[in-house]
Amino acid sequence: MRKITEGFLIFSLSLLLFSCKEDERVEWVTTPYTFDIPFAFPTKMNIPADNPMTVEGVELGRYLFYDGRMSGRTHPDSLMSCGTCHIQANSFEAGRDHPTFQGGFVHGITGLQTPHVMLPLINLVWNQSGYGWNGFVHKDNPNTNLRNIEDFVRLAVFAEHEMNSDTTSVKQLFQKIDGYPELFFKAFGSSTITFTNIEKAIAQFVRTLVSANSKFDRYLVGQEQLSGPELNGFMLFTTEEGADCFHCHGGFGNPLFTTHLFYNNGKDTVFNDILDRFAVTADPMDKGAYKAPTLRNIELTGPYMHDGRFATLDEVIDFYSHHVKWSEQIDPLMHHVLRGGVQLTPPQKEDLKAFIKTLRDDAFLTNPDFGRPNKFPDDK
Amino acid sequence: MMKNLIYLSLFLLLSGLTFTSCDKNKNPQEPSKGKINLLVEHSINGLPVEFDKLIYENEAGNKFLLSEIQWFISDIKLHKTDGTVILIGDDGGEYYVDSDIAASLSINPEVEIEVGDYTGLSFTFGINDKKNKSHRFVNPPESFMFWPNYLGGGYHYMKLNGKWQNTSGQTEPFNFHLGIGQIYDSAAPKSQWTDLNACCKSDHCEGYTPDSKTMPITGFIQNFFEVEFLQTPISIVDGKTTEMVLEMKVENWFKSPHTYDHNIWGGSIMQQQEAMKLGCENGHDVFILSPKAIK
Repeated sequence: MRKITEGFLIFSLSLLLFSCKEDERVEWVTTPYTFDIPFAFPTKMNIPADNPMTVEGVELGRYLFYDGRMSGRTHPDSLMSCGTCHIQANSFEAGRDHPTFQGGFVHGITGLQTPHVMLPLINLVWNQSGYGWNGFVHKDNPNTNLRNIEDFVRLAVFAEHEMNSDTTSVKQLFQKIDGYPELFFKAFGSSTITFTNIEKAIAQFVRTLVSANSKFDRYLVGQEQLSGPELNGFMLFTTEEGADCFHCHGGFGNPLFTTHLFYNNGKDTVFNDILDRFAVTADPMDKGAYKAPTLRNIELTGPYMHDGRFATLDEVIDFYSHHVKWSEQIDPLMHHVLRGGVQLTPPQKEDLKAFIKTLRDDAFLTNPDFGRPNKFPDDK
Repeated sequence: MMKNLIYLSLFLLLSGLTFTSCDKNKNPQEPSKGKINLLVEHSINGLPVEFDKLIYENEAGNKFLLSEIQWFISDIKLHKTDGTVILIGDDGGEYYVDSDIAASLSINPEVEIEVGDYTGLSFTFGINDKKNKSHRFVNPPESFMFWPNYLGGGYHYMKLNGKWQNTSGQTEPFNFHLGIGQIYDSAAPKSQWTDLNACCKSDHCEGYTPDSKTMPITGFIQNFFEVEFLQTPISIVDGKTTEMVLEMKVENWFKSPHTYDHNIWGGSIMQQQEAMKLGCENGHDVFILSPKAIK
């Protein structure tokens, strides 16, 4: 394991600030948050220079991620946080078995459904290619308000189909909650809460959500063997004449199990969604193209595709086997399209699914550092 | 007036000493150094590639379009008249080129090279067998080029993705992917064959039979090759960067000495060594190197 200290990026702070009492000096010290880079994972991470990772920022971000008052409201019926929909046990998606969001289709505080289904919050610190199904939030965006995870926090607060709130209400509410101003001071050196610092804290927490301890990860480092069907599924996964998943979804050489890039995978022949990749690039060949999501924990993150058209992994594998559709925009990597797909036999489909299930990471799904805090800052 | 002359004399004296001092600091034995920069261009029929337009026709008569070109160049070397070959950088380096990433089209080894007149340049297309190992690159976009271990490991030498108009008039995707080839054991009993699908319908698909079985793989074949421009004079100048244009004539991948027909080889060739062999043999005259400027 290579240990990389993000603290290199941090000018270790030790500032003397004045507190409310003019003559009282309070020392502000932050602790750099360190990442252990898992085997074969990228060493380059997507951490904005103006939001270095600190232990204090991550701790605050975890509280905010799960605090329903992020909706800017306090009535029990009006609470909503990131954690309302992003549920750890379902790889930070709602999951098809969610009691409120039936079938895994989430809606906001107003009842409006989100335009696309969710994407999981896994290993996003290694995403260099844009966030969201069409990648509209990316680090080179000329619009400086749409560049990174921080910006998604603000978008979620504003969106009618999410929290339907405003940043002023949210920051003013948290300013009045016991314990939060102190946590903001610890993280950012000021107990005056700004929405920018709310964004930064939540983004820091989200960047800590690292999944790298699945059965496949242990196989990768020689700690565990895959079963016969799983190995055959792995061969299918990584061969052009098999299921040919690896070009878009990674594998042995790309354990993120995604390129984070955008592909038209042949679901449709007519493209009417105004939020596809074309909406970002204006390239007509990007119509109907969407991000290839990570396959880590994919068995828990149905429904599948940007519009949730497939409820189960079996349906997805069937689609790639027999129902891929040709269009002018089909990605060249879908070279089986004129046969309708990769033509897996029933046993091969089972083997492929068995391999994909080796990407389930129970340690990630139950890691207490990622879970809902037992107490919030104002809990006695 | 006299005072001014004294000051001027002192100034000239000190200046002279300073220059003398600088000259003394320079080691006369130390050779002067310069750099080289290869500017990559992808062309068809002498013009820059227009991507995603079905306007090209290859030697076999296949109408085709290109969507993207991604490839590795490595071990760039300069050649001297006396036959000496200088590897640029200790291990030669590997450089990823991507038609969608403008910065990758300028191959600029940050390596100082001894000044002088060189008679030519050569490089490895792809990555040689000693260096082409899995997990050499962990960061994208290079890591996205990985070549599955089951098929030999390491990295694609090239992904040239596009579509061609097949014999039915349909536009069909092709992945002209070059990398390590496989040797299939055609003599192995069927009981040893692997239950791997057989989507490849080409008669030339090696290792496959129509009943979805794959012959065992008994070995791998390194397909990387050297590209040489041994009569292309290159001057490396002290403190300057010599810019050369490296043009990939894409149509030549399908042209000579072998006429490559997508209708024969189909859309995917990573498991067809015979097709990759043709591609790599065609690759020797795909590139043109020409001088651009010394900056």
